[in-house]
Amino acid sequence: MNQKLLAKTFVELADNLVADFDLIDFLRLLTDRCVAMLGADAAGVLLADRDGELRVMAASDEQVRLLELFQLQSDEGPCLECFRSGAPLIVADLTREVGRWPRFVTAAHRSGFGAVQALPMRLRDEVVGALNLFRAAPGPFDPAGTLIAQALADVATISLLQQRSSHRSTILNEQLQTALNSRVLIEQAKGKLAERRGIDMEQAFTALRGYAHAHNRRLSDLARAFIDESEPLPGLGS
Amino acid sequence: MRSDSRSARIQVLVAAQAARRGARVGVVDVCTAAVAALPVGGAGLSAMSRTAASHPLCSTDDISEQLEELQLTLGEGPCVDAFLHGSAVLAPDLLTGELQDRWTVFADAALDAGARAVFALPLQMGAISPGVLDLYADVPTVLDAEELADALAFADLATLLLLDARIEETGAPSHRPSPDRGFEDLGAYRAEIDQATGILTVQLGVGIEEAFIRLRAHAYTQGRRLADVAADVVAHRLRFSPHAEPDQADEGT
Repeated sequence: MNQKLLAKTFVELADNLVADFDLIDFLRLLTDRCVAMLGADAAGVLLADRDGELRVMAASDEQVRLLELFQLQSDEGPCLECFRSGAPLIVADLTREVGRWPRFVTAAHRSGFGAVQALPMRLRDEVVGALNLFRAAPGPFDPAGTLIAQALADVATISLLQQRSSHRSTILNEQLQTALNSRVLIEQAKGKLAERRGIDMEQAFTALRGYAHAHNRRLSDLARAFIDESEPLPGLGS
Repeated sequence: MRSDSRSARIQVLVAAQAARRGARVGVVDVCTAAVAALPVGGAGLSAMSRTAASHPLCSTDDISEQLEELQLTLGEGPCVDAFLHGSAVLAPDLLTGELQDRWTVFADAALDAGARAVFALPLQMGAISPGVLDLYADVPTVLDAEELADALAFADLATLLLLDARIEETGAPSHRPSPDRGFEDLGAYRAEIDQATGILTVQLGVGIEEAFIRLRAHAYTQGRRLADVAADVVAHRLRFSPHAEPDQADEGT
């Protein structure tokens, strides 16, 4: 574990949380840092909606196949079990779990993943979601890394409570709803930009996020303006 | 969607109201079912838009009707804020100073009309935001977590019903699913549905709401699941064209 990178990451995450940050943008940063620091090959944050269904909020790559792998876990897989039990779940060798999660293991294998861990996003006595890490090579996870992953899952939970809300809602339900709706907004904007430019979903996400950063905008505000065409956005072709 | 899910339970409540009316499920049934299920005295629903005039669609009683008209006329109130900010606005007691300051005209007018607590839930699906569901109580009222979650689920169902009504207005497909079939095609959340909606805004040259309506209309006419049609659009197996008839099969199907 690179101590400097670890310290730098937590400073960076904390810095982002105090400013007027965008939740989806922040969670993407968090998943990117999971990959960089913890030797993971992919990371994702899943949140439960009102029906207790897990939904992807952010992923270290927005490609459709990876999002599907996360999303599949609303039905079966380590994230769902972690979410239900509230305890971390570590699978060093996915091939041994075919009987437990047939669809999930098959899909993970197809995407080239051999090991996975899921860390609960806990808020007081409630579990609101999970942080999911994938690694290509099977084998045990470094226990120190798992502790850091849990700390990052806790940061993700805090960010959810910190998101800007027009009326400073302290009601978890409502905060979750706002977060999930932001994600829908991002997906709609990704689709529009991908089609307009003939690029894939990850490229579309990166372009929207880059534009938001360059123009000092919150990603979800930009996504809405882009969809509504409520203002000219040179560089996004509108 | 799991049959024990909140959405499923809310759907059953709304369908029961429609059955009592002997009519197909509409937004008015969401209002009456919400009043029956929640500690509120009445409910009203307004269609709202950033670019066109907003108008009340339905209400369960006189007070609700007045609240809808007041807000749209004054241009202030919980419903206006909920629409603008895209998040629920909960006013448990209009007599509190903070709320009096926030809505200087509306707060007193609403109290005069007979409302003491007002809750406004935006109807929304990303950038699609066709209106707001308003609930009121004549005594100070706080919705607990379960009640708020139910209220949000009522608003989600109202969103789909409102958009479904628009499908019929466009005259596209005649065989929409019967009320008892409900919205099972919208069960598990799929990112592709939102991505496909964004893609259709470009392929059809229409706004996001219209794009979603066209996507669903296509799924209905083809008798396919919305998620499957959306996956085809995202994977470029299906393209929409502005020149084709809305109920006509596109290439690749």
